[in-house]
This record gives sequence, structure tokens and C-alpha cells, in this order.
Amino acid sequence: MASPPVTGSAAVPRHHGGPGPARFRPRRTPPADTVRPGRRGVLSHWRQYLAISPFFLIFGVFSFFPVFYSLYLSFQRWDGLGTVQFVGLQQFRFLWDDPVFWLSIRNTLVIWVLSTVPTLFGALVLATLLHSVRRFKGFYRIALYIPNVTSIVAVSIFFGAVFSNNFGLVNAILGTVGIPPVAWLSNPWLIKLVIALLMTWMWTGYNMIIYLAGLQAIPTQIYEAAKLDGAGPIRTFFRITVPIMRPIILFTVVISTINGLQSFSEPQVLFGSNAANPNLGGPGQAGLTTLLYFYQSAFVNNDYGYGAAIVWAFFVLIMVLVVINWRVVQRGRKS
Amino acid sequence: MDLSRRGFLQAAALTAAASGLTVACGGGSGSAGSKNGKNLTLWYWGGALSDKVVAEAKTHFSGQVKLTAASIGGDFKQKLTTTLAAGASVPDITGIKGEDMASFLPNAGRFLDLNDLGFKKIASQYLDWKTKLARTEDGKQIGFPIDIGPTALFYRADLFDKAGLPTDPDKVAARAGTWEEYFALGTELHRKVPGTYLVNNIGSVFNMAVGQGTERFIDKDNRFIGDQDHIRKAWTTAVRPYTLGLDAKINDNTWNAAVGKTLTTELGAAWHALDIEQAAPKTKGKWRVCAMPGGPANQGGSYLALPKQCRNPEEAFKIISWILSPENDARGFTDAAIFPAAPAAYSMSAMTGGDPFFGGQKIIEVFGPAAKAIPSSYEAPADAAVMAPFMTELSSIEAKGKKPDDAWKDAVGQAKQIARRQGVS
Repeated sequence: MASPPVTGSAAVPRHHGGPGPARFRPRRTPPADTVRPGRRGVLSHWRQYLAISPFFLIFGVFSFFPVFYSLYLSFQRWDGLGTVQFVGLQQFRFLWDDPVFWLSIRNTLVIWVLSTVPTLFGALVLATLLHSVRRFKGFYRIALYIPNVTSIVAVSIFFGAVFSNNFGLVNAILGTVGIPPVAWLSNPWLIKLVIALLMTWMWTGYNMIIYLAGLQAIPTQIYEAAKLDGAGPIRTFFRITVPIMRPIILFTVVISTINGLQSFSEPQVLFGSNAANPNLGGPGQAGLTTLLYFYQSAFVNNDYGYGAAIVWAFFVLIMVLVVINWRVVQRGRKS
Repeated sequence: MDLSRRGFLQAAALTAAASGLTVACGGGSGSAGSKNGKNLTLWYWGGALSDKVVAEAKTHFSGQVKLTAASIGGDFKQKLTTTLAAGASVPDITGIKGEDMASFLPNAGRFLDLNDLGFKKIASQYLDWKTKLARTEDGKQIGFPIDIGPTALFYRADLFDKAGLPTDPDKVAARAGTWEEYFALGTELHRKVPGTYLVNNIGSVFNMAVGQGTERFIDKDNRFIGDQDHIRKAWTTAVRPYTLGLDAKINDNTWNAAVGKTLTTELGAAWHALDIEQAAPKTKGKWRVCAMPGGPANQGGSYLALPKQCRNPEEAFKIISWILSPENDARGFTDAAIFPAAPAAYSMSAMTGGDPFFGGQKIIEVFGPAAKAIPSSYEAPADAAVMAPFMTELSSIEAKGKKPDDAWKDAVGQAKQIARRQGVS
């Protein structure tokens, strides 16, 4: 795959009417003596606002409003059709005492760690390997990226079949070398492992592409200098590649945190055919992630208030993790 | 982006106002409309009604109204709830799944009382226990029964024969009259035909055993009774095949592969016959059906209801009582294996024939009496939610080898919490 043609903004003629280049001025350096554009300035751009408004309208109706409506709901009891009844903090008190909620948090965190660490490490290694490949570059990139554009549902069904306890492909292969069948989808740890593996498989390629872009931005002279100084490939990787890639790695960590903590489709589809309870994350609720528990409470049990409380408590937890992430970034910068 | 904070706030306020307006408009348009509309919409899901009967209903009533039927995929209950809550584009006739009926009853005001439209006169044609499940405490009938799911014991006659056990349905039913006798039979079967199991999972046994009783998890006074003897007894029954080693512990879709191989019996509703037939076509002719140990229960079976917004209640009621007349019910059984809620259909020729999958056995002779003998029970709105932890803990016993007594304690503890959350005392 050839790199995309470079079309910098410099090549584009800028004067297409309107107030001109002033608009493109960086935000933080307003000329000290000019008057702020104010209301008339905003109104004079109404065409532009109109052009981008569809996104904001849809976002407002389908995301912004529901988010805050769910905050309102978390203080109510509501079955989805009847009257909404104010219950104060009761839902959160229930939440605090609910062992299943804490179990779902633990499940989510374990699955997140089990999937994110191999994903990012694997992606970095793959990107480094791919960076040094001379032939079939495009093929490898596409091949590794394809899992990410495949439907999660399809992948989950596929994994469910491959890791099936009784008649799965993995157990069949293990059987040919004399290993007794493993209960992949019953054992609480193996359930998490299978879900994590699924997520790893889906997200490694995505992160690899980001890393590859970062690697290509590192000047080759640095590597040449290292080579001349006698550094081997592993030392080069840890002493040059990783430090320079640090901001990119942090970006992928943040994105993976957001994606990894929101695992829902994977366990939902994997255990969706579970006869006893389709939305409770399989045997022993070992695959019950917090979002799945939210779905189960709100949309299966018709307890919308409790469901809202679950997601808002989870939101707080994600915020805590984000703050921790941020602190780690700050410390990294100082040292 | 040269957007000031004030500008941003203005934009945000504008967006919020716009979204509020959209919602307000959506709410307003639904309630308007005359009550003798010429267009009626019907919502159901694939397999809920016979497509042929629905198609015929369209032509049969084309003189009076234009009936549009939509087969809704995905989470039907969720879509119906959302539509009813929004109040716009509400279907004039809708299906409601049997397991969801209880959760719609507290909002009976969203539906028309079918008794006002003439259901009272024809109610005796339908099984009383089924009709009752769609009636509020103050006598409002919101659901018109489509079908039911009387349960029975499916068994592999060839494997029974191999083990030297009787294969005739009446004799098997006599040998497996109670749960304990059934498990004894299973133990013998397991010994003589190694590698086979009696039940696919113990959750299914629990489900059946609970369904055989008249009380479930919450009583009519909205009190939690899931820790009482009737549930404890069902639990003990369910755990028995696990301790006896007769449990195949299948909790996922590998059931499809196991049903023709390692499972000797299946506990299931009438519609389960189709599942077996599709999963294990090669076992055709080897299965038989007999009465379930401990008596019949019900699993599934749906209703048709008329939402309050229905544009022409009289015609809509005529349509549903035509679609669900005993004659058409019997055809539904032939077309889509929908087991009628109208006993009159059981003696019609469409249902009395032999089923080649069951070696020509006339399965109505098992399901017909079972349908009439199902106990009438009370199902509270939160019943399904409260039952879930019991099922989960039973699967924990199977998956992790959790001690049944610990599992019982955890199940009751969790069920109590869910009950409290749902407003049950």
C-alpha cells in the first residue's frame, strides 16, 4: 500500500470569500488591540454552523440528552412505561450492597487487563516487524487490520464455535495430541481469557497501524547512529523506539482503556444462547461485564433506574482510571 | 475553532431546545386519530403467528380495513416498550410474548380491555389458566392467547430399547411418574448405555419443577416467597440429576450437537419438538413423547394485544379473534408448530395426525391432556428477574462445582435483593 499523497493545506488557495485568513489564526494568540468578534461574528458564519448542525442535532438528541436523562433516571424508579417515582439515592444504596455489581466490575477489569496488555505489546512488536519488512507490506497491513473491521457479533459467534466445550475446534485439536477437552466456556478464568483473546484479536491490528504510523515518523538517521554505536535490535527497540513512541503509546493506552472497559457485545453474543439466562455472562456470571449487567437490569428486568445507577457508578470508576492514567503521563513527562 | 464559551453555551442551549422540541412533537402526534381508521398495523415476530393465516386475514378483511403486518426482529419487548412509551407509531395490534406479559400488566392502561370488545363471550374457548395470565387483578383482559407451551418428556426410544427399558409412551410415563422415578430410570439408562445423559442442564429441570406448582417467586400480596418450601423442593429436584451424574451440563449452543448423540431425554414444551427436529434430523423416528414426570408445566406461549392508540378497536378485535379462532389455530400448528390455546383445535384433523419424527406417534394425545392439566399460577411482574439468580447459581454448580447449599444461599440472597429493587416487600 502506497503512502497517501501529500496534500498540505498550503497548496489550497485560501480566499474563497468570507473574512479571509483571520479565521485560521491559532486560537491562543488573539491580537491585543482587536475587538472580539462577539455575537455578530458568530451569526455571520451561520452557513458554516448550518452545515455542521446535522451532527450536533443528532448528537444532541441521541447522545447528549439521553446521557443526562439517564442521570435523572438514576434517582428514580421506572419500569419503562409506568410512572416515574423519585427514590433519592436508594438505587445507589442498592448498588453498594449488590455483589453482582461488584462482580461485574471485577470481571470487567480482569478482562480489560487480560486484553489490553497483550494487545498493545503485540501491536508494538508487530508494528516493528512490519516496519522492517520489505515486500508485501500492503498485504500484511490489510491482513492484520481486517479483524478490526469485522463485525464483533460475527467474530464472537466464530470464537464461540472454536472454543466450544464439547465440540469446539480447539478441543478437537487438543484431542488429537491426547490432551483432554478444556472447559473454555465454563471455567470462570477461561471464560475471561476467551473474551480477552477475542478482544486482543480484534484490536491488535488497529493499534499496530497507529504504531506503524508513529514508527515511520522516526528519522532513520537515529537508527543508523545506533547501529554505528553497536546497538543490537532489541536494545534499539527499548532505548530508541519505545521512548520516542511514548506519546503514541499513551494515546493507544487511553483508547484501549475506553474500548476495553466497554466490552459488552463479546460476552453478550458468546453466551447469548445460554439457555438459563442469555444476558448474565455465562456460567457463574464469569463473563458478566458491567455494561452487560446494566443492559440486563434496564432492558431485561425493566429496572431503568437501577440500570442508570449502574452506568453512572461505572462512569465514576472510568473517571478514576482516567485520572490515574493522566497522573502517570504527567510523571513520565517530568522524569 | 474560534468558538467562544458564550457561543458554545448558546449552541448547546439551542441544541437542547431543539431536541426537546423533537421529543414534544413526537409525543403529541400519536394520540390524535379517529377510532374507525381504515389502516391497521400488526406487529409480531417470526413464528409467532402462521404467516399464511396472517396473509389470509389481509384479504379476508380487505373490504373493511387495510391490514399491514410487520414481522419485527430483534428484541421485541424492548421495541414495543419504547414505542409505547414514545406514544407515536404505535401498532394497532401487537404480539406480546408470554414471558413478558407479567411485566406489561402493571401498565394495563396502555392497552384496551378486550372484555369490552367481546372477549368475554368467547373466552370459554380458550384455556382458562392461559387467559388468566393476561388479566389484571381487577379483571382487565389485555392479552388474547395465541398459543401455549405444554411440556412433556421427549425420549430416545432406540436408546431406551438398547437399555432394555420400555419404549411405549404409556409405559415410560408410568415408569417415570415422579421426578425420583425418572431419575432412577435415568441411572439405569446411564449404566446400560455409557456416555449418555438424562438431562441437558439442571436449570431446565428447575424451570419445569417450578412451573408444576401454583406458586412462583412472588405472591399476590407482592411478597417474596422464593425462599419457601415449594421453591426449595424444586431446587432439590433440580440438583438431583447433578449429584447422580445424569447431568450433561450443557449451557450453550453445543446442545445442538449433543441432542442427537449423548442426550437420552429432553424436558420441553410442545414447540421444543421442532428444535430437536432441526438440531438432529438424523434421529428422525427414534424419538417419542410422554407425560412429564410430576405433571405438566407451561413454557412460553404468546398473546395478541390492542394498544390504547389502536385506530379501530372493533375491527382489530374482529381480526384477532378471526386469526386466533380454533380453526385457524389448528392451521397455525400445521404451518408453524404453534400449539393452540383453544382446546377445540386439539380434536381437529390438522392436529390429530401422527408425527413421522416421533415414529408416527400422535403427539396430541400427550400434549392435549397436558395442556388442560397445567396448574393456574400467579406470575408477578418481577418474577422473571427474581428467578434469574436461581438459574445462574444452578449453572455455577455445573460450571464450577459450587456446593449446592452455598449456591442456594447465594441465589436466595440475590433474589431478595432484586425483589427489593423491584419494589417487592
